[in-house]
Amino acid sequence: MSGPIDPGSFGGVVIADRPRHADPRPYSFPAFERHELPNGLGVIPVHLPGRGLLSATLVIPGGAGEEPEAQAGVTALMARALTEGTRRHDAVELTEAAERLGATIHAEAGWDGISVGVDVPAGRLAPALGLAAEIIAEPTFPDAEVERLRDERLNDLLQAFADPRRRADDGFVETIYAPGSPYGRPSGGTRDTVAPLDAAACRALHGARFDPARMTLIVGGDLAGVDVVELAEASFGGLERARESIAAAPPSVAAAPGGRRVRVLHRPGSVQTEIRVGHVGLPRRIPDYHALSVMSAILGGLFNSRLNRRLREEKGYTYGAGAGFELRRAAGPFAARAAVNTEVTVPATVDIIGALQAMRDGPVSDDELHAARDYLVGVFPLRFETPAAVVGAIAGLIVHDLPFDELDRYRPSIEAVGRDEVLAAAQAHVRPDDAAIVLVGDADAFLPALEAAALGPIVVDREPLPAAPSAPGEEPSHD
Amino acid sequence: MPVPRVEFIESRLPNGLRLIIAEDHLAPVAAVNIWYAVGSKHEQPGKTGFAHLFEHVMFQGSAHVGKAEHIALIQAAGGTMNGTTWLDRTNYFETMPSHQLELALWLEADRMGTLLAALSQENLDNQRDVVKNEKRWSYDNRPYGSWVEKVLNSVFPETHPYHHPTIGSMADLDAASLEDVQAFFRLHYAPNNAVMSVVGDVEPERVQGWVEKYFGAIPATPALPAPLPDMTLPATIGGEIRTVVPDRVPLPRIYWAFRSPLFGDPRLDALDLTGQILAGGKGSRLHRRLVRERRLAQDVALFSMGLVAGASVTAGWATARPGVELARLEAAFWEELERMTREPVSADELDRARALTEADELGALQRVDERADRLSMYATLFDDPDLINRMLARYLAVTAEDIRAVCADVFRDDNRVVLTYVPAEGRAEAPGSEEAAA
Repeated sequence: MSGPIDPGSFGGVVIADRPRHADPRPYSFPAFERHELPNGLGVIPVHLPGRGLLSATLVIPGGAGEEPEAQAGVTALMARALTEGTRRHDAVELTEAAERLGATIHAEAGWDGISVGVDVPAGRLAPALGLAAEIIAEPTFPDAEVERLRDERLNDLLQAFADPRRRADDGFVETIYAPGSPYGRPSGGTRDTVAPLDAAACRALHGARFDPARMTLIVGGDLAGVDVVELAEASFGGLERARESIAAAPPSVAAAPGGRRVRVLHRPGSVQTEIRVGHVGLPRRIPDYHALSVMSAILGGLFNSRLNRRLREEKGYTYGAGAGFELRRAAGPFAARAAVNTEVTVPATVDIIGALQAMRDGPVSDDELHAARDYLVGVFPLRFETPAAVVGAIAGLIVHDLPFDELDRYRPSIEAVGRDEVLAAAQAHVRPDDAAIVLVGDADAFLPALEAAALGPIVVDREPLPAAPSAPGEEPSHD
Repeated sequence: MPVPRVEFIESRLPNGLRLIIAEDHLAPVAAVNIWYAVGSKHEQPGKTGFAHLFEHVMFQGSAHVGKAEHIALIQAAGGTMNGTTWLDRTNYFETMPSHQLELALWLEADRMGTLLAALSQENLDNQRDVVKNEKRWSYDNRPYGSWVEKVLNSVFPETHPYHHPTIGSMADLDAASLEDVQAFFRLHYAPNNAVMSVVGDVEPERVQGWVEKYFGAIPATPALPAPLPDMTLPATIGGEIRTVVPDRVPLPRIYWAFRSPLFGDPRLDALDLTGQILAGGKGSRLHRRLVRERRLAQDVALFSMGLVAGASVTAGWATARPGVELARLEAAFWEELERMTREPVSADELDRARALTEADELGALQRVDERADRLSMYATLFDDPDLINRMLARYLAVTAEDIRAVCADVFRDDNRVVLTYVPAEGRAEAPGSEEAAA
């Protein structure tokens, strides 16, 4: 596919022939194996020569997805509060001790796991792991600091409600999941569930979840001369097994009933509409994971995916359109997404539905298949250039309980995906007739067209922005 | 482990293209990064947003590459790519599996040499619509999204090339014509206005050969754009500029911005460390005082945007917790900045900031794409790519007195812009439509 000109008009200065690639340098995901301390804690060192900024993560499978609905947000709050003080140091002392090492320490919880991570220059791993162990073993959860973090989360929820893209994400999942399904709410909890959380709730959860037998420490980077297992034993060997440990099973989730339907979250005067189209998707552990990956790339992953090509490069409706499955321990959401100028809200939505339907209606082209497979296979080494990325990928295997050769099998498995498998994945997992369409934008500007498009029953939420605190009514002034 | 030295070799093609190659075989990846010495500061009145719109056009095809095919070819080769536009420059980059490097070089050469061959009104109109949606998404439909524009409008006078942001205005984007795009290409896109860095798992002699083969015959432009008129500005704004911005935000937020020393001036290095000490994480002064102890703020920030002429911009913000009186928040923020101008930071604070800076440098430079970007940056802006190996030493040499002195020069009440975003519930017009009172 060349441009419509005679290269000779440029004096033949530019070489028309595309170069052929050389032979790829062999690459495999870095080798690693699991060791175990006497208290059951797993230790995985990954030696990456020449990588002087080490990355260490202690991961526990099970996160916000496994917490009770009435306490939604407690796992994220507890994780953030881990660094707020220990029996030996307050939060500022901990931070300063880490900074003196050039280390950053972070603790967090997502849907699938709880993690405490440290990035530190090689040579200072031992003291950095010591700080991480202190945070994990003896956090004090000071009442006042937990209250502050809780309030910051409540304030963040105000911000999320005002931000059109975050409102669209939150409005979408609350529409597609049945009440009571954890994934229907934000992983940090809602206003109602976060407000009553306190330090006692954090302490109780910490006691239940931080059992060394359920923890894995992964350390990546240049580990020449470093005995990671010995360092781990020194820092974490003293952790006692919990008496009553909760083996977090993946949560059960259910889709809200309803078939195709439209929900509009009205924002008067909005210059864009945030669009989400989709339904409850899949968990990470599925037999057709690789076919699903290729299918998703073609539908909404590559730059020239069907959605981005249509909505951006052909129509100019958006800065970017895409689609994908969030594969969690249980079935996460599948969503197509775009932010489009208000005037084209309805045609863009119709195009998205059409693209989802077309994935089911017939096989992809050979060109599409090759583009997706070649990208996923070719970009694999680029994904793991840094220790943090390698450690993160291994942590993913742990939280999803995947075999350790999963990453070695990735490229051959992608190569083996054919057009039939892609079509089967689309027909099994992309269901436009079941899709909720969530639009955050100016309903008054597109409601008649939306009704005429007959995409499904329409509900318009004319929700007010949250009550804001009063502010002084100053006028601009010059000094 | 110390931060590794980046060894590189430099050459220049007869057509003026400057080439920097740095070999590193740790991973089977290679990065290409081209800096063109053209940014939004080169835009003429009535043509704001043009450098950035043009950057989009660069992905619309060239003589031997179809529309959107550049990206398709890179992705099918397992690579990643993008382009970005800033006030001082525009850059384009690819990270490739190393055996696919030659493809990226060919693609960059084809668009440097023959972009206009594929330029069409249809593609321009399409990308204009895309860019307008980028503006809506990044600025207009985002809470507090107008702050960058308002800060630049206030820190720089109306006639100054840094007065407007890279995204430009909707009216100017609408007015951009094919002739404008063609003229822009001819003026700025030439081998003698570019620096290309290639970093990673490469053999330098082969890279040199490919670059000569693909770029060697692209003619230099005989007439590079004339240097911009003198952009020098007084070191301070010369007053305080206050603006209240009603926006669709639930929590008020105050932004501060200051003129500060130029990128490349060691005083800006001291200001970078100041950003770490004032707002770099939980141990920092603003976080400790405003967020943790006094509980006035939900979050705080302070950082510098280095620019090469006139002045850099040092900016910060604090988001108010509900019910907090803004005057108290503003006074508390200012108190911490003012303290920096009087008392030297402690030896321990400085040591911590240095240790974190060293670790950041170690982390950033482990990536081939970051190394390629910095080599091109230092070559383009300072004619000195080896700065990549000297910046850390410069940071580590900053003293407490250097920090106090630059803070005293910058954090002055006659050198500040104060933007106060306040909730504007139920406003019918688009958010961020207030004009800054600059």
